[in-house]
Amino acid sequence: MGNTPFIVCRCEEVTLEQIIEVIERYHCSSRETKLRTRAGMGICGGRTCRPLIDRLTGQMDAEKAAYSLPLKVQPPVRPISFGEWGRGS
Amino acid sequence: MSYGRIENHPILGPLPETRRVCFLFDGRPIEAREGESIAAALLANGIRTLRAHEEQGTPRGIYCNIGHCMECRITIEGVSGFRACLSLASDGLDVCSGIVLPTPFQPAKLREGDAYE
Amino acid sequence: MIDRLDLIVIGAGPAGLSAAIASARCGLRVLVLDEFPRPGGRLLGQLHQEPDGFWWNGIKEAQQLVRQASENSVDIRTGVSVTALEQIGQTGWKIWTNRGPFSAKHVLIATGAAESACPLPGWTLPGVMSIGAAQVMTNVQRVRVGNRGVVVGMNVLSMAIVSELRLAGIELAAIVLPPKNPLNVRASDPGDVLRSLLRFAHLAPNALFRFGASFLGNSLMQRMALKLYPRRGIRMWNTPLQLRRSAVEIVGGSCVEGVRIADIDSEGVPIPGTERLIEADFVCIAGGLYPLAELAAVAGCPFRYAPELGGHVPAHDESMRTPLQGLYVAGNITGVESAKVAIAQGQVAGLSIAIDSGVPDSPTETELQTAMHRVKQMRRDALIQFDPDITACRNRMYGTNDAIG
Repeated sequence: MGNTPFIVCRCEEVTLEQIIEVIERYHCSSRETKLRTRAGMGICGGRTCRPLIDRLTGQMDAEKAAYSLPLKVQPPVRPISFGEWGRGS
Repeated sequence: MSYGRIENHPILGPLPETRRVCFLFDGRPIEAREGESIAAALLANGIRTLRAHEEQGTPRGIYCNIGHCMECRITIEGVSGFRACLSLASDGLDVCSGIVLPTPFQPAKLREGDAYE
Repeated sequence: MIDRLDLIVIGAGPAGLSAAIASARCGLRVLVLDEFPRPGGRLLGQLHQEPDGFWWNGIKEAQQLVRQASENSVDIRTGVSVTALEQIGQTGWKIWTNRGPFSAKHVLIATGAAESACPLPGWTLPGVMSIGAAQVMTNVQRVRVGNRGVVVGMNVLSMAIVSELRLAGIELAAIVLPPKNPLNVRASDPGDVLRSLLRFAHLAPNALFRFGASFLGNSLMQRMALKLYPRRGIRMWNTPLQLRRSAVEIVGGSCVEGVRIADIDSEGVPIPGTERLIEADFVCIAGGLYPLAELAAVAGCPFRYAPELGGHVPAHDESMRTPLQGLYVAGNITGVESAKVAIAQGQVAGLSIAIDSGVPDSPTETELQTAMHRVKQMRRDALIQFDPDITACRNRMYGTNDAIG
């Protein structure tokens, strides 16, 4: 009971088991977990699963996380076409 | 199954009168209230599946309904990536659900020397 | 095209609109951007009855703010998604959007909060939505989210929205805890959840709170409360609040067909042999809120981690200034609180920005102090405290004290 695999990152369909396995094997931060599993790397920019990943890697990120977000935010924070992105820059 | 609208609300009152508009969802005509989101109009008409996950093909519908989660992506007038929860229904709009994409980069299909394009 | 702007506000919610009004009243030229089709942010959809019987309707509150903003020549544009922002030397900020770039000397980020999830098997099925999604669909779009639902997660937000769904005549089969897993540690612990619910016992008008109020004393009493809590739940708004049951998985083929639930022990662990299926055609996931601060991160603003405020918040002081020149924050991005606190914070931000821009009608330092004082009052008088330690946490962050006077 309760052992059914389930998705944490909806965009990239990464499961809890996959994320935990990577964190345990590599003892990694949120950022490294994201790079290794693709969780948080999808089109929503991690808006749904970012706090969840941070929760799982809490121990690893504790010291740094007091002053910055464990997972870096990259612009654009909303998907945008290349045409629109290029306008005005 | 009946979904439909909340016509009368004990505090918010009756649903205000608005003009009706009609758009197409995967070729099927959908009646909407002018000024409402495509997601709301589809749900009122009993449609909850808005796309299939691009790789796995699992069905998806609205999740956050305010533009954060990107789950309700649809194609409008041939342009993909619109959020159904933020896009307004209007007369004659051609809306399509999101579909499974081909996955050209599956390892088995990559031969040595293949260039990424 | 806009000639010259003094302030761009990102987010047309309670904080953003009130900041725009306050600064425009001082003579600033203000543009408010929001990606939702209607201004109001998450005011839209909020609906509750005050202790004096008055129905507080977020849609009306939003309309009032929008009217005041228009009266003061604030330019509100909806359907505009901000994608990035950048500090341009000493001259101010450049904002990128899906409708082209904008520039202004000052920027207020008032992007509010996003919902946290409590994931479980089956939560990607159509028909599963965040509880906030159901609130907007019900009260703003006036569309029925389904015929019979299950709410997974018990917290302030979900309780408030459950009452709104019931008010609109939406049937809920049960409210249950999320399954115990490494993502839902506290939210799946019946003792923790009961303690947090008991903090709202003063809102009394129903069975749970009458039940809970008698156990409010020490932790021994609270442990007893959990033991005495009926397995089938206590009915609230005619919906069983099942503190001793948790969801195991959401089932369905192409959309939600039901939720498998199980009785749980005092640690939240399912008791073997107690599983049953509740039929439902929609499920609301209620994991609470966290400050949505991604644009502050892109701007290069430092952060502070404050679990009492919902997570990471951009560093800021009581006047809503961040350490970056010309960048301000207000509302739930600074910590999850009620809309009334957000409105008061917006007024503070608007006044700070007016002072910093040195307009002829610049507010006085006393006016700013008064506005900051009002935030504390609003916080103290709020019906709902999202966390019991918000005031203490704010005081630590701002170097202030409790005195309200």
